Amino acid sequence: MLELIMKILIYGTVVSGIWALTASGFSLIFGIARILNFAHGTFFVLSAYMSIVLIKNLGLNIFISYAIAVLFVGVLGVVVYKVMMSPIRHHEVMVIIVTLAFALLVEQVLLLLFGEHGRSVPSFVSGFTEIGGVLITYKRIVVFILAIAVIFLLEFFINRTRTGKMITAASQDIEAAMMVGMDVERLFVITMFVSAILAGFAGLLFAQVFAASPIFAVKSLIYAFAIVILGGLGSVRGSIIASFIVGYLITASITFLGARWAEFVMLVTIIGILVFRPTGLFGVEE
Amino acid sequence: MMRKLLVLVFLGLLLLGCAQPSPPTTPTPTKTPEATPTPPPFEGKKEVVIGVIGPMALPEGTSEKNAAQLAVDEINDQGGILGLPVKLVVGDTKLNPDTAASELRRLATVEKVDMVTGGFSSGVMLAMMEVMAETKTVFLADASSPAHPAKVAEEYDKYKYWFRISQNNGTTFAWDLAAMIDFLREKGVTIEKVYVIRDEHIWTDAVMQALQPELEKRNIEIVADKKVGRGYTEYDQLLLEAKDLQADLIMPILAIAGTGDVLAKSWGELQIPALLAGHDLAAIDYQFYDKTDGLANYEIFIADGGALVTAPPTDMCAKFVEAYKAKYGHYPESHQAYGAYDAVYAYKIAVEEAYKAGEKNPFDPDVVVKYLEKHDTKNPLVLTRTVAWYKNHALVWGDDFVRNWISQWQDGKQYIISPSTVANGELKLPPWLE
Repeated sequence: MLELIMKILIYGTVVSGIWALTASGFSLIFGIARILNFAHGTFFVLSAYMSIVLIKNLGLNIFISYAIAVLFVGVLGVVVYKVMMSPIRHHEVMVIIVTLAFALLVEQVLLLLFGEHGRSVPSFVSGFTEIGGVLITYKRIVVFILAIAVIFLLEFFINRTRTGKMITAASQDIEAAMMVGMDVERLFVITMFVSAILAGFAGLLFAQVFAASPIFAVKSLIYAFAIVILGGLGSVRGSIIASFIVGYLITASITFLGARWAEFVMLVTIIGILVFRPTGLFGVEE
Repeated sequence: MMRKLLVLVFLGLLLLGCAQPSPPTTPTPTKTPEATPTPPPFEGKKEVVIGVIGPMALPEGTSEKNAAQLAVDEINDQGGILGLPVKLVVGDTKLNPDTAASELRRLATVEKVDMVTGGFSSGVMLAMMEVMAETKTVFLADASSPAHPAKVAEEYDKYKYWFRISQNNGTTFAWDLAAMIDFLREKGVTIEKVYVIRDEHIWTDAVMQALQPELEKRNIEIVADKKVGRGYTEYDQLLLEAKDLQADLIMPILAIAGTGDVLAKSWGELQIPALLAGHDLAAIDYQFYDKTDGLANYEIFIADGGALVTAPPTDMCAKFVEAYKAKYGHYPESHQAYGAYDAVYAYKIAVEEAYKAGEKNPFDPDVVVKYLEKHDTKNPLVLTRTVAWYKNHALVWGDDFVRNWISQWQDGKQYIISPSTVANGELKLPPWLE
């Protein structure tokens, strides 16, 4: 039993780290701009496929490919914001429709180019070790360390830098931020860039551990959305904590009930929590 | 307002996320006819239309389309079928039963196909069989569920247009898996506990139903039977459980999941002390080894469809794989290619045999069925595989016909390791198991 618990803790932690990155990016842009970016999962898969093309077709070094792929989705995020979201930002439903349409379009393009079966990414580290009697690959350990490092960087950016503090201030009261002279549009662009980079980086880590697949354009969005609602809309810290709850829940479900029940249990639990706490774990009433 | 919107959107997203045979006798093969008779007029018929239907975003679908096109091109170069040019039309099932039924209806009623091939997978095929029966379309089919030939047996007049061409009945997969275990035991490998990882899909239910008694006969315990969905990737945990349960063999029965490469990678990385051996459709792909960064080394798989690029069972198969590579720049990306290629030639042969026998309209579906049925165990077609049909139109299973050869990945190459009549390699165990 102790070994089972260790397994859930270890494996759940790794998965949680990836989802924490994804969800915090989704939460960030919602928190400041009240934008529900349904193309968030697109950035998640695009970076993975971009890295595969750079590594396998162009023969680039894996780390250089990763850097290019993350920057690419960051810039793409800004372009998507400026072209698709900014003009209709105040029409929430329109934003959802446009970003969802973009996500489905990209998914179809990926299906046409790469097919539905997942694509493996070359591993950046091989081998395995044992922690508390549980085997784990070095790859998963590195992925977790990287995910946590980026989360700390995000925390540092939001709480310690001037731009981060301005984003926090604007997310608390956008009108007050405008009244004191903040360039809110610039903050939206920066936030969108950071949000897309977080999704892109999470996608790269996910593909390292598992594989890149077009179906994760929508699936990762569902995970991110569920986690953000559970954590409390707009609360990055809430999203991170909710990610760990979801990660452990999925791992425990696979361990005790079987793989087919994992997502079902996760979604039912989230709905159950929302019934008793509609604002999520760290959300506040609007 | 915003919260109501969010709840509605979340529920919408959830919906979007959820949408998701008898022993053979020794044959006396007849040589495939090659001559094409002088073209006569057949009720104003100007061309022969062949349809290929499958999930065109998957290698199963694209390989069917490519292989059928190759066969059509070759046949046209030889003068067509009874002198009529052959045209290929394509339908995309998107691996969705509703879409598949609509696409087949389009092919049958708008494109007016004379024969359709393809159809991966079993659930999709079941939906299409109704349209096939209604439109009386000859269907040389992919998919392995025993439910399909059972329909032919139960309501012959309605479903007789259906013939399996790509692989054997799902129940025979169990015989192949049991034969694989016997082979491994003969080679000194201890197999007492098996951990099954299989598709959550109709076709694996049939395999498991037939496999369980086979394993019981051999005093083998199934320590776990795990079902995984399409796109499932979290295999590390399952492999660790297999290790904890002291399984000797991890048996994938995977096709629809499409993530056999992820499984093989996890197994190779974690060096799980159990053989990875089973029915992993992805492992038949000649690029599989590279996809797993070589971690699929020593994976044992049964070569679904009875053909491998590296071990073609017939001369026609050897020519086909090279012609495929010459045309498309790579070898067939899935075993379905052999079935689709054979389907076009089998149709041509049946029509030509009907014509030679003096049939008034050799393209009539009822006539074509009659002449396809003549190819039983005593009169098989030697195509890329040796094809013959049972009375229920399932493919004849056996060493002399189509069966899943027991194969293994060894240092980047696929080898058939059993049966000895076709083997071109020897079993090799992973170094961490020796």
